[in-house]
Amino acid sequence: MSFTRKPGGKALDILQNLPRISLANLRPEPGTKKAEKKRGRGQHGGNRSGRGHKGERQRGNRPRLGFEGGQTPFYLAIPKYGYNEGHSRRAQYQPLTLNRLQYLIDLGRVDPTQPIDLTQLVNGRGVTIQPQKRDYGVQLVGEGAGIFAAKVNIEVQMASEEAIAAIERNGGMVTTGFYDPRSLAVLCKPVPFFISGQPIPKRMLPGEDMVPYYTDAANRGYLADPEKIQKARIALAQKYGYILPDISKDELFHMLSMIKDPRQIFFGLSPGWVVNMAEKKILKPTDDKLLQYYSS
Amino acid sequence: PTISNPNHARIHFSLSLPLQKQTLCSPAGEAKSGILAPTEEYTFVEQLIPPSRVPFPPKHDGPSPFGWTPPSEVPLAFPYMICRSRMHNVPVYTYLTHGSRKTTLVHKIEGDIWEYLQQLTGKDLPTQVNEVTMTIRVKGHFDTALKEWLVKK
Repeated sequence: MSFTRKPGGKALDILQNLPRISLANLRPEPGTKKAEKKRGRGQHGGNRSGRGHKGERQRGNRPRLGFEGGQTPFYLAIPKYGYNEGHSRRAQYQPLTLNRLQYLIDLGRVDPTQPIDLTQLVNGRGVTIQPQKRDYGVQLVGEGAGIFAAKVNIEVQMASEEAIAAIERNGGMVTTGFYDPRSLAVLCKPVPFFISGQPIPKRMLPGEDMVPYYTDAANRGYLADPEKIQKARIALAQKYGYILPDISKDELFHMLSMIKDPRQIFFGLSPGWVVNMAEKKILKPTDDKLLQYYSS
Repeated sequence: PTISNPNHARIHFSLSLPLQKQTLCSPAGEAKSGILAPTEEYTFVEQLIPPSRVPFPPKHDGPSPFGWTPPSEVPLAFPYMICRSRMHNVPVYTYLTHGSRKTTLVHKIEGDIWEYLQQLTGKDLPTQVNEVTMTIRVKGHFDTALKEWLVKK
């Protein structure tokens, strides 16, 4: 390196040779402090002090904000409509652009050789999910579809058609899966959950309003028929004008075709198991009733 | 337009849900019992643990698909140095205050940088130099030009 790094630099050198700083030596930079305008003093500011001539204006008795002199005011004339009704109970899906996904893969924060899950995205600090604030997961957004060039197996909660097309064009797989709030919290922060010593819960199925979304092959829902999904892949390729690469001949086909069971939260771990991180062991239930419950 | 060989065979979805209903040789009445092939299944748990350090980016030939260029291995000899941030990005940031006030901040500057700033922008711009935190704040948005220029170094 051909320089020396000095915090403070030249200013600090000058300061060390000057006399001690005190209130007598300090002054604000000229132009930063503008003199305050005093109301009602002086030849042109005096007299009525900027209040006008008589009436409610000068006497300070004007009516409330929104009053229109007796005419039905705007805020009462317009009828109510529940635009924002229940806004705090609506499901929110944090957007994930393909731009951001490409950035994460390029910088090595997310590994494309393993199936990309919400846990992997959170571990790579790609998205921030707050399950307690009505976040139901992540939605894949098509911005950056032009530059996206990575073959990935990704599982999100919602995906736009353009995003699905961009991923499949590069030879990847997209699945949309539902996580109820408790499962989502477990998925986003698995380590505190394992430390708490509870058995892995089984993922609940979506509510009535979301079942049509997740059973639709066009959305690559996890509850949809695999044959219909294959047909939808071909149809999307025709719509967007690219040749659908045959992933069954890919060397990573096993990884690309991995999807989770509808009741499973983590890859490789099934509901009902207890993970002991201190001793690196996994405990599994043997009672019939428990097994029946967890496999239902 | 030719359609690729439609893959009539179903894609083999391997469901990785090995629900094991095996009863191990443990006395009845014990709700939980032992372990089966601990190391294989524990690898899935290890994959879930978040990394505590920022990973080193993999090698790319030239700019990556996103447009990120790695820092050059041997930095050229200049009288100043601008290091990359913790996330391996160029430390140039833009701010928009009051809806219309554009500022560009270049940070992590070490050494003497005054000549190039003049060359780059062509005129003397209002700037604020903060020597302690090693930043320069310039009026106006220059992030794309600055980033391209810094990436070449």
